[in-house]
Amino acid sequence: MVFFSAALVVSGCGQSESPGFRINLDGYDPAKVSQAQREAIGEAMEEFFGTPDVPRVPQELGLDAERIAVAAGPVEGRADGAQHGVYRQHCAVCHGISGDGAGALATTVDPYPRDFRLGVFKYTTTRAGAKPLRSDLRRILLRGIPSTGMPSYAQLTDRELAALVEYVVYLSIRGETERYLVQRVIDEGEYLPLGADVKEEVFDEAAVWAAESWAAPEQNPEDTVVVPPPRPEYTPPQRAASIERGKQLYASKNSQCVQCHGPKGDGDGENDLLYDDWNKPKIGVTPEETARLARLYRLPAQKLRARNFREGAFRGGGNPEDLYLRVYAGIKGTPMPAAGPQAGAGGVLTPEEIWDVVNYVLSLSGRY
Amino acid sequence: MSNKVHRRRFLSQTAAVAAVWTAAAKTPCRALAANDSWGDLTGRLVYDGAAPERERLVVDKDVDCCGKFDIRDESLMVGADGGLMNVYVYLRSKVRAIPPELQKTVEKQVLLDNRDCIFIPHCMKIWNSRQEFYIKNSDPVAQNVAFSPDLDQPANIVIPVDTDATWKFNRPQRKPVPIACNYHPWESAYIFPVDHPYVAITGEDGTFTIRGLPLGELEFQFWHERTDFLETRDWPRGRLTVAIRAGLNDLGTIKLPPVLFAKK
Repeated sequence: MVFFSAALVVSGCGQSESPGFRINLDGYDPAKVSQAQREAIGEAMEEFFGTPDVPRVPQELGLDAERIAVAAGPVEGRADGAQHGVYRQHCAVCHGISGDGAGALATTVDPYPRDFRLGVFKYTTTRAGAKPLRSDLRRILLRGIPSTGMPSYAQLTDRELAALVEYVVYLSIRGETERYLVQRVIDEGEYLPLGADVKEEVFDEAAVWAAESWAAPEQNPEDTVVVPPPRPEYTPPQRAASIERGKQLYASKNSQCVQCHGPKGDGDGENDLLYDDWNKPKIGVTPEETARLARLYRLPAQKLRARNFREGAFRGGGNPEDLYLRVYAGIKGTPMPAAGPQAGAGGVLTPEEIWDVVNYVLSLSGRY
Repeated sequence: MSNKVHRRRFLSQTAAVAAVWTAAAKTPCRALAANDSWGDLTGRLVYDGAAPERERLVVDKDVDCCGKFDIRDESLMVGADGGLMNVYVYLRSKVRAIPPELQKTVEKQVLLDNRDCIFIPHCMKIWNSRQEFYIKNSDPVAQNVAFSPDLDQPANIVIPVDTDATWKFNRPQRKPVPIACNYHPWESAYIFPVDHPYVAITGEDGTFTIRGLPLGELEFQFWHERTDFLETRDWPRGRLTVAIRAGLNDLGTIKLPPVLFAKK
């Protein structure tokens, strides 16, 4: 049965072979990684994580293998009516088979599709530095991301949505593990994979760490999840006062909002050379260095634009609670920092002040 | 087809690892312990050429506050007598033992100050299990401190005026981690989180000393922000093996050609 469907894919779709995961050498001088090293990295990764058609889901990572099986592999409708291969059906064209955000359509969208391999996701309910909850990824699937290429997948079944979320987590853990392995091979030079020590030094270090950091917010929401307090019920004068306070806070040297978002919230601040964590490594201090670095990546550098509040399109969602979360916890992987208190740092704004800033921002977009 | 992965061992690309360096015999005048159980490693790194002009950096944010400072590139700092600053020298070998004195005397905090719109100091090290990272802001504008250590929690912290923050690193790193400020792109620093005290950073005169090392053959590594691992003919991938003897082990003065530090 398996062979039969595989044969159909091969002949039916005109593909000469099953797709494989692409090794992640982004940012590295290709001359520094020999063919033998590449093969060894590929073999170690396959031993840990399997292939796109036959993923391996190591038990210690706490992932749901059944869900991953629904998302992985070639697109096919089974006799029982269940859809399989939903990642390749809906996601791979942009996010790539490897989850590298470099699918066939990647260069046509701005921002690029998310590269899951960094293990960083922008719009979450979790504190700065924490992984998202699975429900955060599900929310993105349901809503899409306004003013980007990411559409809503609200039409999918719960089973399909859960499968995609789990598969994204799998690709992300796989991606973080691979980055660590590649860096290690390059740094060590003579070191090479494949012995019991690789299992111990790479898999047990990187994959287990990544899996634990995915589990942390699910297991300890009280430490990691930001729950916006209810927005105060304002009378009209109170509302005006809150917006005015928000305007002052927005303009203050402490909040630094103006730096990027501009004095009027048009997204035209003086700090206009913004890059997210996926693109920042492609930028050097001189034009020559930037040109050299850019050659080491699959996708050219893409600048980030601070949100123009007057456009009213908020990527992480335009509800007041969504904006509260963006201000409180920042936008992960971007220069947008967390203004709310966090472990070890008092933060810039109190919860009441965050509501004032949110009210001001919403007033700029005409939503309040 | 078998899925069995072929177990392969690759030969060292640097198979001819530099011969073990043995320090010139010296009187153990500055040895950390009174007995002969520990050794110190010292040396001096010299930039073998004219000290480079430090480029003035573009300061175009918060100009009313930061514009009055003469902010210069810190990526290659050479002292008046040619000493090469900010080279990390650290132990690569697994730590076998640490003298109790070092464990007792370590400072509780490693300070990073935001002052005059730069990070001070530029290069830091931290012993994760015994020290916390303490960040303060002495400037009249909010500052930001952002870093992403491997397999550890990333940070993107706002430090408002007259405030501070603390941070705990949970995992030793393999090399120093860059620190950036998202508000002021010219600001740059490095911190090296490790799980031992055997890291030194060369000072203005180019000297470094790592104290309280266990005796025997140990492998060290040299790292600089312009070169990554500081690779020379004698230091493949910036590595050097030294037979540490009781007392002071002096590598002497090591001259490094400027070409190593050219901006790529």
